[in-house]
Amino acid sequence: MNEILKAEAITKTYGARGAKQYQALKGIYFSLQKGEFVGIMGASGSGKTTLLNILSTLDVPTSGKVVINQHDLSSLNKKQLADFRGREIGFIFQDFNLLENLTNRENIALPLALQNVKAAEINEKVNAIAKRLGIDSILTKYPAEISGGQKQRVAAARALVHNPAILFGDEPTGALDSTAATELLTTMEKLNQEDQVTILMVTHDPYSASYAQRILFIKDGKIGRELEKGQASRADFYQEIIGELGRN
Amino acid sequence: MLWKLSLTGIKSRRRDYAVLFSGLMLAAAIFYMFMTLAINPAFLKGALTISFSITKYVFIVGIILLSIITLVYIVYDNSFLLSMRKKDYGLYLMLGARTSKIGELIFAETLLVGFLATILGSILGIGLAQLVSKLLINQLGLQIHKFVGFYLPALLWTIVFFLALFFLAALWNRHKLVKSQVIDLLHEQQRPVNLRFHPVWKTIEAVLGIVLLAVGYWAMWNYKQLMTNSLWIGLITIVAGTYFTFDSLFSIVIRLLRRNQKFANRRLHSFTLGQLQFRLGAYTRILSVVSLLFALALGAITVGLNFHSLTDQAMESTYYDVVIYKHSPKVDRQLKHVSVRKTQNLNYKLVGTGKWQIIYVSEPQIAKEKLKYQHFYQKDGQAAYSTRTITPENIRKADEGYMQLSMLMPYPSAQIKLVSAKQYQNIKAKEQKTDFLLVNNFRQNFNQIEKLQHLAVKQIMDGPKVESSDITINLNNSKSAQYRLIASVASGFEFMGFFLGLAFLAMLASTLMFKVLSGAESDKLRYQMLAKIGAQVSWLKQAVRVEIGTLFALPAVLGIVDVLFGLQFFKSMLKNPYDRLWIPFTLFLVIYLLYYLLTVKMYEQLVLKNQH
Ligand SMILES: Nc1ncnc2c1ncn2[C@@H]1O[C@H](COP(=O)(O)OP(=O)(O)OP(=O)(O)O)[C@@H](O)[C@H]1O
Ligand SMILES: [Mg+2]
Repeated sequence: MNEILKAEAITKTYGARGAKQYQALKGIYFSLQKGEFVGIMGASGSGKTTLLNILSTLDVPTSGKVVINQHDLSSLNKKQLADFRGREIGFIFQDFNLLENLTNRENIALPLALQNVKAAEINEKVNAIAKRLGIDSILTKYPAEISGGQKQRVAAARALVHNPAILFGDEPTGALDSTAATELLTTMEKLNQEDQVTILMVTHDPYSASYAQRILFIKDGKIGRELEKGQASRADFYQEIIGELGRN
Repeated sequence: MLWKLSLTGIKSRRRDYAVLFSGLMLAAAIFYMFMTLAINPAFLKGALTISFSITKYVFIVGIILLSIITLVYIVYDNSFLLSMRKKDYGLYLMLGARTSKIGELIFAETLLVGFLATILGSILGIGLAQLVSKLLINQLGLQIHKFVGFYLPALLWTIVFFLALFFLAALWNRHKLVKSQVIDLLHEQQRPVNLRFHPVWKTIEAVLGIVLLAVGYWAMWNYKQLMTNSLWIGLITIVAGTYFTFDSLFSIVIRLLRRNQKFANRRLHSFTLGQLQFRLGAYTRILSVVSLLFALALGAITVGLNFHSLTDQAMESTYYDVVIYKHSPKVDRQLKHVSVRKTQNLNYKLVGTGKWQIIYVSEPQIAKEKLKYQHFYQKDGQAAYSTRTITPENIRKADEGYMQLSMLMPYPSAQIKLVSAKQYQNIKAKEQKTDFLLVNNFRQNFNQIEKLQHLAVKQIMDGPKVESSDITINLNNSKSAQYRLIASVASGFEFMGFFLGLAFLAMLASTLMFKVLSGAESDKLRYQMLAKIGAQVSWLKQAVRVEIGTLFALPAVLGIVDVLFGLQFFKSMLKNPYDRLWIPFTLFLVIYLLYYLLTVKMYEQLVLKNQH
């Protein structure tokens, strides 16, 4: 199989040296294969966001190594990191993070514009992904004029428009009601299955997590158990997750 | 409890408060400085030796302008304060604080900030007044003697004016907070763009704006025909035209750019355009005000510096630089300090006393010497001079040339009589001689020249048998006396133009700065998000520079055009208001540029701070 992300002995300590320090991550090891859909679960404060930020190059680990698509992140400088983020990584956040003063089309086009892709090509790609996510009718509107679920799909389109190697989501369904959440999750599942998009999603909602194929449980800054969906149905996997959460 | 919360809120935003506070202090300091200047008799007496009716008028206009600008400035400063506090207070309200309590808090906070800023600003103003008077007066070579930093009435005026303004601001803030919905306070920063855009209406507005501006400029250009009407037409059309232009033309341009896929899809272009469109909607009023202030400030400096040209007129109005009536060791010693370019002289014999004095001059000498004078006439409504020669004919006819010669002599009320060389020889009186000098570098050597002229006059006044009252008239006719008179008037205006110009500039630029900085809080998230999706820090910085640069440049461009046309007004007062335009323009733009750079730096600090 094709390894796309590898985390080795990642630790993260918050707080300046000498001041009050707190070790949020205490040595994380795991890897992600191309085309996987992996969920990360854990109690509040267990370090999920911290880990995701490090994996997605937004933050740097105190020690340890992250390799994405054969790139050792620690060997990249600031500029290369930004560039790397722009090309290889897509994000969906809990609070959408759309720019209110740009139309939805402009929002989606941003990652491509940042890489200086030609206007015609940008148009083509935006149209394609919008169609894929069923938001082609709202492209000329502004984020303030659409619903939360639609916003999240626009955010997803923006995260995917440049064909990133990995899609990261931190509680992407957190601000959505169950219908909108299901819509987004099925979209993600479809992207994963049909287009082989690799997805790493943080969530504490077992229903959202049941869409993943594999779940990592993080506890006290370390990865504890791991659940595989394998051939199980989503309903069964959901039961299994609830059970696992109950054991803690 | 709430008081404590409120204080911690302030503490956590120390830097923003420092910016706000220093801005208010600056306003108070400038206001104090101008008041000392305008109402301090010591300054007025020192600066303006003669009563010049326009002076008072100019100072009153200055005070009014400064008050208006201060008002606008405080309104924006205050809205910056309010925007910083809205979220905090919204949160307290959500947690169950009573509205009246919150109203009390913001009221007290505004008043306290205003009070402290006024007091500290006034103290700063006293120090600055002292410093500025020294610096500016030396730098410009102004003829101002007495200027004291501390002047109680000015201080009282400043404190009363500012406290009244802050009291109103405090009332306003309380009203705003108490009347707003909690939800609006909490989401103040996320208000969506004003999405409504009617292309037809906007186009009409843009055309109207441009037409109004054109009418205003036309009215100013034709000042001569329209006279004072041009002032009113210009004022109204330009203010309205500026507003409409900002409200429509620029958003149309930005919209067109956004439509252009090639342009908009490059890097952060679409983001910058979006930001600008967003901003322009909210900035129309402030940009209009800033552009007008810009014109006023630049105009004040330009006109002020141009008053120096009045001294050119003083120089032109008199032909001879120094007239020496009688030599003495003292005079001759002083003469060595002056570099003389050309000397002419006239011999004469004085007969009689009192009203019956007669000056006899010989016709051949008058014909040979060709003494000169400056003939005054009007050209296009402006004073002009041409050089003419005094001929024997002039003296016979007792015309202008005769009068001019008589003024050059130490006995202006004596009659001048032309006689032949032989008759002259036969007149039994002591022969006297007057020297007419042309010197090099009159301006640079002014002090030495003035001293020489004084000594020369003193010689004849101290001499026997002379009625001194007549001679003082001649001292006032001398070129150095004329020059000193005009220079002192011009210096007063120069000082004021400079002062008002710089004060306006400081305030308008900081107004713009506050407006920009007050939006930084809501932009922070946007920049963070852009960084997350792969924008380089250098691109973000570039975007900040372009965005703020546009906001600074737009009013500047309109302001400069306003000044270029507005200078027409001064054509009747000044010889060439457009003379050496680049000096005030460069000075002004450099300071404006510094403000721009400062704003960019501070904005970057606020917006890009936490990006690794
Ligand atoms: N910038 C920071 N400085 C100091 N400590 C931090 C910082 N960010 C997070 N922490 C701490 O690190 C720990 C992990 O935080 P993290 O945000 O990763 O948790 P999480 O698993 O995402 O929680 P949640 O489910 O609530 O989002 C927490 O104890 C938190 O208090
Ligand atoms: Mg989290």
